[in-house]
Amino acid sequence: MAGKVLEIRAMSASSTPAPGIRSAPVVAKLIDTSACIGCKACEVACQEWNDLPPETTVQIGTYQTMPDTTPSFWNLIKFNEHETDDGAFHWLLRKDQCMHCADPGCLKACPAPGAIVQYNNGIVDFQQDNCIGCGYCIAGCPFNVPKMSRQTKKVYKCTLCVDRVSVGLEPACIKACPTNCLTFGTKEVLLQKAKSRVAQLQTAGFLDAAVYDPPGVSGTGVVSILAFGKNPEAYGLPKDPSVSFAVEIWKGPLKWIGNIAIVGGIIGTFVHYLRFGPKHVPEDDKAKQADAGR
Amino acid sequence: MTNGWTDIANADVVLAMGGNPAENHPVGFRFAMEAKRNRNAKLVVVDPRYQRTAAVSDKFVQIRAGSDVAFLGGLINYALTHNRIQEDYVKLYTNATFLVKEGYAFDETTGLFSGWDKDKKAYTDKSTWAYDIDPKTGFANVDETMQDPRCVFQLMKKFYARYTPAMVSSICGCSPQDLEKAAEIVTSTYLPNKVGTIMYALGWTHHSFSVQLIHAAAMLQLLLGNIGMPGGGLNALRGHSNIQGGTDCGMAYHNICGYIAIQKADQAKFEDYLNAVRPKPLRPGVMNFMANYDRFVVSQYKAYYGKNATQENDFGFNLHPKLPVGAAPGTYQNWSWAYMFDHMYEGQMDGLFSFGMNPVCNGPHSRKAIAALSKLKWLVVAENFETETAAFWSERVLWLNGGKPEDVKTEVFLLPAANFAEKDGSFTNSARWIAWKYKALDPPGDAKPDQEIIARIFLKVRELYQKEGGKYPDPVLALNWWYTSPNKPALEEVAKEINGWAITDVMDEKDPKVVAVKAGDQLGKFLDARADGSTLSGNWLYIGSYTQAGNLTQRRNGADPSGLGRYSEWAFNWPANRRVMYNRCSADATGQPWDPTRADIKWNGNKWIGDVPDYKPDSPPEAGMGAFIMNPEGVARLFVPGQFVEGPWTEHYEPMESPVQNPLHPDGQSSNPAAKPFKTQWDKLGKPDEYPIVATTYRLTEHFHYWTKNNPYNLQEQPEFFVEIPEELAAEKGIKSTQYVRVTSARGSIVGKAMVTRRIKPMTIAGKKVYQIGMPIHWGFFGAGDQEGSIANLVTHSVVDPNSFAPEYKGFLVKLEKA
Amino acid sequence: MKPVKVAQGNVLRYNFTERLVHWTAALSYIYLLLSGLAFWTPWMWWVAMMLGGGPVSRAVHPWMGLIFTAAVVYMYRMWLPDMRITPTDLEWRKTIRAYVRNEEEEMHPLQAARGFDRFAPVDRFNLGQKYLFWLMFWAGLTLLATGLVLWFSDYLPWSLRWLRLLSAFLHPVAFLFTVGGFIIHVYMGTAVVRGGFSSVIRGEVSESWARYHHRLWLDRVTGASAAKK
Repeated sequence: MAGKVLEIRAMSASSTPAPGIRSAPVVAKLIDTSACIGCKACEVACQEWNDLPPETTVQIGTYQTMPDTTPSFWNLIKFNEHETDDGAFHWLLRKDQCMHCADPGCLKACPAPGAIVQYNNGIVDFQQDNCIGCGYCIAGCPFNVPKMSRQTKKVYKCTLCVDRVSVGLEPACIKACPTNCLTFGTKEVLLQKAKSRVAQLQTAGFLDAAVYDPPGVSGTGVVSILAFGKNPEAYGLPKDPSVSFAVEIWKGPLKWIGNIAIVGGIIGTFVHYLRFGPKHVPEDDKAKQADAGR
Repeated sequence: MTNGWTDIANADVVLAMGGNPAENHPVGFRFAMEAKRNRNAKLVVVDPRYQRTAAVSDKFVQIRAGSDVAFLGGLINYALTHNRIQEDYVKLYTNATFLVKEGYAFDETTGLFSGWDKDKKAYTDKSTWAYDIDPKTGFANVDETMQDPRCVFQLMKKFYARYTPAMVSSICGCSPQDLEKAAEIVTSTYLPNKVGTIMYALGWTHHSFSVQLIHAAAMLQLLLGNIGMPGGGLNALRGHSNIQGGTDCGMAYHNICGYIAIQKADQAKFEDYLNAVRPKPLRPGVMNFMANYDRFVVSQYKAYYGKNATQENDFGFNLHPKLPVGAAPGTYQNWSWAYMFDHMYEGQMDGLFSFGMNPVCNGPHSRKAIAALSKLKWLVVAENFETETAAFWSERVLWLNGGKPEDVKTEVFLLPAANFAEKDGSFTNSARWIAWKYKALDPPGDAKPDQEIIARIFLKVRELYQKEGGKYPDPVLALNWWYTSPNKPALEEVAKEINGWAITDVMDEKDPKVVAVKAGDQLGKFLDARADGSTLSGNWLYIGSYTQAGNLTQRRNGADPSGLGRYSEWAFNWPANRRVMYNRCSADATGQPWDPTRADIKWNGNKWIGDVPDYKPDSPPEAGMGAFIMNPEGVARLFVPGQFVEGPWTEHYEPMESPVQNPLHPDGQSSNPAAKPFKTQWDKLGKPDEYPIVATTYRLTEHFHYWTKNNPYNLQEQPEFFVEIPEELAAEKGIKSTQYVRVTSARGSIVGKAMVTRRIKPMTIAGKKVYQIGMPIHWGFFGAGDQEGSIANLVTHSVVDPNSFAPEYKGFLVKLEKA
Repeated sequence: MKPVKVAQGNVLRYNFTERLVHWTAALSYIYLLLSGLAFWTPWMWWVAMMLGGGPVSRAVHPWMGLIFTAAVVYMYRMWLPDMRITPTDLEWRKTIRAYVRNEEEEMHPLQAARGFDRFAPVDRFNLGQKYLFWLMFWAGLTLLATGLVLWFSDYLPWSLRWLRLLSAFLHPVAFLFTVGGFIIHVYMGTAVVRGGFSSVIRGEVSESWARYHHRLWLDRVTGASAAKK
């Protein structure tokens, strides 16, 4: 744990405020999908840095041999074939991983205190020690990221290499990326960079190029540049992701209504008893009186 | 590479063709991406498949495997007809102005050049493929206006006029519009301040016309004024981390270290040899650097034989191996890869040392290779893992040929060898950078570094020769084995020897009283080498890599004062630490850069400054020395006067197995007239009626050759052999993705999972619908995972390019069916 | 079947099976409630700690859920005839205000004005009990269905994620309803209706108790006709 270096800004299932008071620049990873060549170096770098064992795969008819991320495979390049209206073919390569939302649905949905934390620099991290394996984060995530291990019954995902970042190193995937499709830095700087790259793409003919930093989750710590920015679904990304309404209601108003109802119910019965007391069966009462009179 | 990896970032246009750099050179490809990002460079990808490089391209054109010459011809024709050439450059730095000898001709109907013997089906007389030489001076005649119909420029225009967009479309299967769009981008670099580069790899070298193909690319780059420019050049991406070093150090049979031509058996004296190889200048004032041949050869002999190389014995000329003469008069034997296996199959070889090579998998036509290995008496394999070659005799592999292990008489030795991380030494990369590497860990078990295995075998062999004598023991006994630890020569010492040193004091050539290099000192520059036996140098090209200043290949200074990614103090760059070759061409006639923002060298009034000049450092531009100092013409060759066997120009010839007759001369020569198939029972070529589909092979970024199939992470990323099939063909055959299919050629067949894709589209070639499929290499029998013998080379043939002798792994015919 | 012996003046209200099933449901529910409360709000997380920690609570919770629903389903089989809502129940409901205020004996003037002189007789279970039963039954099924989804939520494909979200939402909603029912049930059964708690422990009630609270039922089990009243 990097607690001494990174303070916690938000914590799952916490009834008191998170302890972080130091200000820290929000870090981010910029994925320029228009520069990704699908070499998968980031995938293996991730596994090697995090000591994750190799997965067993089979050829499934595409260059992407892992169908999805797994509890021990946190970083996957997705190969999507896309044809534009003019018939031009494009191979859309996108790095799939935890997006490190500013407003993380997983953290919101998590019932286990401290199982999901968000550090001051914006990294969302799962603390498996505190995880109870309920899987609510899976429901809470709009990007299908957290994956539960069948063995440990805990949920795992990209940590944005918090162990590296907390000591001033870049994440392992960034270090491995050969084309600089991946860059790491403060979000502020990266967004500037992303903007100019988008402008460049637009000049090059990708008129819909855009930065994918969805406001529905208050922006993400993993920002993508999409040449077809109006069509994030083509990359396997949700168009307008947000923490689900169900989660928002459940963890918001419903929680308060429920709490009030439960406490109110208990108080109500107590008051009722004070006011009305128990019911009397008249015959029994008479019998009791008779007993008493005897 | 004429330029270097880091230099690609200086390009305005990158043409990736005959290579898939994003797939196979992802780390170097970063510089192409930098050019795109920082300079808005355009990336044009021309390939049989939409692949990883295409995924980030600005323009992708799909062509049929084996039709690259036609496409390049189309680009050349586009440049010439649209006047998109850098004319001043062409006049200054190419032989466009040279007049060609009377009698040279090209017949457009037969597709053959003058000198063809119809009966022998060969070029018996190449004398007309030459310049018009002034008999008095011995120099070539030129026409500076380039108007003479016999000048190279006019002949070239005429020759390539046939490569119209319609013709190119008919050969390549791309639309004429695609060609024109690509041509417009590529030829946009004809302006002096625009530069384009070409990245190519084995997609160009694996053809029966590969050398001519690269010649075509060189012509295009010369017309556009891109050779010698930062951000330009013609860049071969080598297929292994040190294959450049291997080639530099005499790996090919026809030269010894430093691309020095091998001695021939019919050259009795050193002088005969020198006369044959040392060129004479063809224009006044040229440097003709290779006039220094003798210095480099003698120094190399001195490195080999030390004290036993003396003036009296021609410095050991007759100790050194010579290439035997061939059956036909005036020819020599061929011992390149495919020929070697042919000789082996014919029983002309007793044994083979296979170090870090897996011929059963990586050579063409695996079944012939197995049959050939079975004829050996002994085979020594030094490897990290058990390979298909080391176990070719086992039932697991041998079933491919239907033989029985007990019938194989070959004695096989498998020696465990250290891998790259388990020994030190140097890598020479594609950019010619020689970079020292350090041992990361000890080799496991009994594994030994290669130099130790070789040294111990050598010392034992020498001991036997000393004891028992034998046929001509002299070279073995005379070898200079000077290393401090003879059993394990330190590679640091070998590096010192490759650079070379002065044996006795070397005197200055201008002032014979001044000592230029003290006895025992390392040589610092090429011309420190002497032909009188006073210096030794294992490889003249590497002179400067290990000087008195130390082992310069260990330099790691990331400073780049040039701002052009030159990194002059990072490692050592042969030749002479020059980062851009032919860089005299980056400046105009007056020595000023064509593009001041991309000045590689310039004349400051006294000398050339910037990069290490590929020129005499103090020769003023007006002296007109000629920018191509290695060529006796002093200029680059558009027209090649006799060095190539199939003609002075690059003509499109069909691959040896082609679905169509050559559309350029349908009634004439279809395939390369100089390429000849072997004659064993294994060497069969298929006809398009039986084998209608064009197939090509390639590597994947997830693997390295046949080696990483032992690593579970690589296997995770690409677990199985597969065949990429266009959707339309799959629909026709009722094949679905992940179903097993069988690919069969005239040589053999292979089964793999189908990958049905939109990334390969059907094409129309010469009016005929043609499908193309692709197969990655990388699998075999051994290693982790289930492989079942899926070696892509089971279906390839072993016809080779007649200049480079590289087999045609790409663009052959197969049929496809459900397995 | 051998008649069960009861004390003089008492009637058998719940046989052994009924009591066992009731307490199976009750105890499993209490576990579910406690662990569920821990998952529901961090204020109650200490309960999970007392139950062996978060992961243990999470691991046991679904199994308890299965036991609870099994008990509820058994109750359904067992009590369905007694739990059907009858026209008499609807009569009874009109006077519920008085029932809540323990005014069964002195009829409220308002109700008297509407023409009711006394309460509608009650069969084995009154309408409140029936409501609790149906609440627990339907909520139990909801909790089972949504609980299964949440139990195996990592097996669910992304295309069915709406199911996951729906479950995550409905599970606590159903839970809240059961909590309401539970509070009232426990309060009524222990504090308000004296004799109720012992009836589900020992199975017996006094005839007078039965006559007072469940006259129709008493008449039925003792064979007395309505005419006898």
